[in-house]
Amino acid sequence: MIKLPNECLFEIFINLKGYNRNLFSCLLVNRQWCRNIIPILWSGPVPFYNRKFIRTCLSGLNVEEQTQLIPFEVILSNNPILLFDYTTYITTIDISSDNGIIDWLNHEGYRSHGLISYKYVAQSIKYSLVAMFLRTCIKLKDLNVHNIGCNKIMNLLAEILYKDTTLTSLSITSSNLDYEGEKIAVALCKNTTLTSLSLENNQLGLKDGKALAAALCKNTTLTSLYLYNNKLCSE
Amino acid sequence: MDNGTSNSASENETITLKSCDGIEFHIDARIANRYTLLNNWNGGESACIPNVNGKVLEKVLEWCEHHINDPQLNCGDDDSRRRNTIIEEWDENFLSCDQDMLFEIILAANYLEIKPLLDLGCKTVANMMKSKSPEEIRSAFNIDNDYTPEEEEQFRKENEWAEDY
Repeated sequence: MIKLPNECLFEIFINLKGYNRNLFSCLLVNRQWCRNIIPILWSGPVPFYNRKFIRTCLSGLNVEEQTQLIPFEVILSNNPILLFDYTTYITTIDISSDNGIIDWLNHEGYRSHGLISYKYVAQSIKYSLVAMFLRTCIKLKDLNVHNIGCNKIMNLLAEILYKDTTLTSLSITSSNLDYEGEKIAVALCKNTTLTSLSLENNQLGLKDGKALAAALCKNTTLTSLYLYNNKLCSE
Repeated sequence: MDNGTSNSASENETITLKSCDGIEFHIDARIANRYTLLNNWNGGESACIPNVNGKVLEKVLEWCEHHINDPQLNCGDDDSRRRNTIIEEWDENFLSCDQDMLFEIILAANYLEIKPLLDLGCKTVANMMKSKSPEEIRSAFNIDNDYTPEEEEQFRKENEWAEDY
């Protein structure tokens, strides 16, 4: 075969975006093809609900993110270091289902110890994964998280929004953001990338509402804000 | 594609292009007006297009001539350009050549910045890869596997989620 340069290979493979089975076959052809395909395949949307996807992502946790899982005796198998920084290519991710994590736990034969519930373990793994995504996904445009009421994660999210980011669409739903809405609002004052923000079903209160209203006076890029099912004016 | 040059060339005007192996082609000037880079080699006595031989240039120019009246697409509109997955019958026949020629056309279209032809060639190759195993693709395109077995296994494991999805 005549050797095509990377720019032509990219033009070929971009036609297969969304045909993940085909991309998977192509990336196993040789190293050059693989280097061209990984960024296309991982740009997403990626399936957070898939056990095998979770397995790969867990290998990308850093020491701190892994440490959070020690109390649950979750064994992250001794995989070699990932061959690529896969998550750096993700642009779209929907973290609304824990099924991928639960499937992974089942497949690994995990048994929860003592009084700790299975669901709680899955939730903790999700926190570590979200922290890892927020740390590594430098091209993230579209993030959807559901049921993530974790202080640390909200701090991370607010921090990311506050800094320059690539994020244009953010949805944090059913996460009981009471006390946390203000942080998001403060970050929103400075943020210049986000065009769509959804904070539905989060128990946001009057104080959060006021902070958000103040943020809207300063923010110039947001065009859609969804606040359905909160307690913005109940007090 | 907005070529930024005047489109005033009349039907009878011709320009001369020379391939890297010295074969001359006299083409409708409107073609060169559409694809700026072709204009760069127009008419020069000694100027010839490097990297593109006569056989390939003939094919490329045949395609350009057939599509001379196509509407021009905006440069920045990459997504809509690619989303159009339908290949016209004429184009399909045009690219039913041997594989080396197909790849030569892609290389030339890339080099000469003839975007619609590059897209067409790439789409055709992508279609040839669909529903094939890695081994079938290697044999169809005569490609060597340069992975170590361990490396191949690790890539398979790290990306096999894509098989289910």
